[in-house]
Amino acid sequence: MPSNGSSSGAAVWAILRKECRSEWRTRYGLNAALLFAITTLTSVSFAVGRLTDRTDMLSALLWVVLLFAALASLSHAFVREVEGHTLTLLRLVASPTAIALGKLLFNLLFLAVIEAVTVPLYLALMGAPPPRWGAFLALLGLGSLALACATTLVGAVISQTRGRGALFAGVSLPLLLPILAASVSGTRAQWLGGAIGPEARLLAAYAAALLAVSLVLYDHVWED
Amino acid sequence: MIARASLFVWITAWMVAAFVWAPLVPVLGETTRVLYFHIPAAWVTVLALAWSMGHSALYLKRRSMEHDHQAAAAAEIGILFCVAATVSGSLWAKAMWGAYWNWDPRETSIFFMMLIYAAYLALRSAIDQEERRARLSAVYSAIAFVSVPFLMFVVPRIYYSLHPDPIINPRGKVDMDPRIRIVFLAMLVGFTGLFFWLQSLRVRVARIEHRRGEP
Repeated sequence: MPSNGSSSGAAVWAILRKECRSEWRTRYGLNAALLFAITTLTSVSFAVGRLTDRTDMLSALLWVVLLFAALASLSHAFVREVEGHTLTLLRLVASPTAIALGKLLFNLLFLAVIEAVTVPLYLALMGAPPPRWGAFLALLGLGSLALACATTLVGAVISQTRGRGALFAGVSLPLLLPILAASVSGTRAQWLGGAIGPEARLLAAYAAALLAVSLVLYDHVWED
Repeated sequence: MIARASLFVWITAWMVAAFVWAPLVPVLGETTRVLYFHIPAAWVTVLALAWSMGHSALYLKRRSMEHDHQAAAAAEIGILFCVAATVSGSLWAKAMWGAYWNWDPRETSIFFMMLIYAAYLALRSAIDQEERRARLSAVYSAIAFVSVPFLMFVVPRIYYSLHPDPIINPRGKVDMDPRIRIVFLAMLVGFTGLFFWLQSLRVRVARIEHRRGEP
């Protein structure tokens, strides 16, 4: 039953629930991503030690850790469908845009889980000064939204190529660098007591632009 | 044939003029001459990226392989000029700023362009089927097009630039020696001609390969 305008919200919700359920059955992606995030965190923490007063380093390394975790795990949602040969069936049930939005929401949830584990550990291990929670969480949320928008779209493209894993990081990077730059400078401003308005607006605008382009492009990603 | 010969004569003549006719700018000294090669190369880099992205959008709209040939050829030539602009700029930076690379905003933005080109070409090389390759790389081009204005906007806000813009800025044009301006504009025209010539060669090769059924 292909979805039309009225049922596309339901289709997105169904895709999200299906993603969560199939992830929960094996927890393969989640375990791998958490292990990866913690390994990166450990190597960063081990290499530089505690950085109590270097908020510039702290904000940069925090986003490098999160970027690595995202790059290691976020192409999974589409690659799993292609490797399991289930994408064709999925497309019979829902429109490309509904599939993509469902997977985007799943990736966002996935990032939130990873961050819920990684960020407190990071703050504790690195001896970071207490952040301004409102501003810090807003930046984390907007940064994750932008990361998820970019990586979901690239994941959809990359899942149809050879050598998916290796290509994903390289092809995503040009899209992720503005997110990295804005998030790092916002996080630093937050620690230094400055305003985060410009960075937050920039991240929101970038996420919105990526989302808008995605909605137009997803129909073109699958055609054959 | 005549067009090719005149392009060769044009570029050669102005290259000689750059060394013997145009004066040097006081602060820049001998490094002034990088202006006639570096900026045209950077201009072609941007032009090729825009050309490639425009044809990618046209491909998604019209589904003609011709647009895919154009987009791919422009990306290949673009990365060539991008490397030329980066290397010449880097050498100049060593002479003027004392380091080959220090993440000046201009260095950052050209590096991003190089990343976008490289990712585009890497993506193309990873897809065998012709129609799918054209479609997916056009999609990637469209996404990259979103990031370009942000890269140009984010980076200059975060870092501060030492790049000598005033030399080419409209404001600075008053100070620009007319001979420098003539050679510079002539080289800009020459490099643009060079781009379109290389582009037509590459597209013709792509058309032949397409007809013969080769990748």
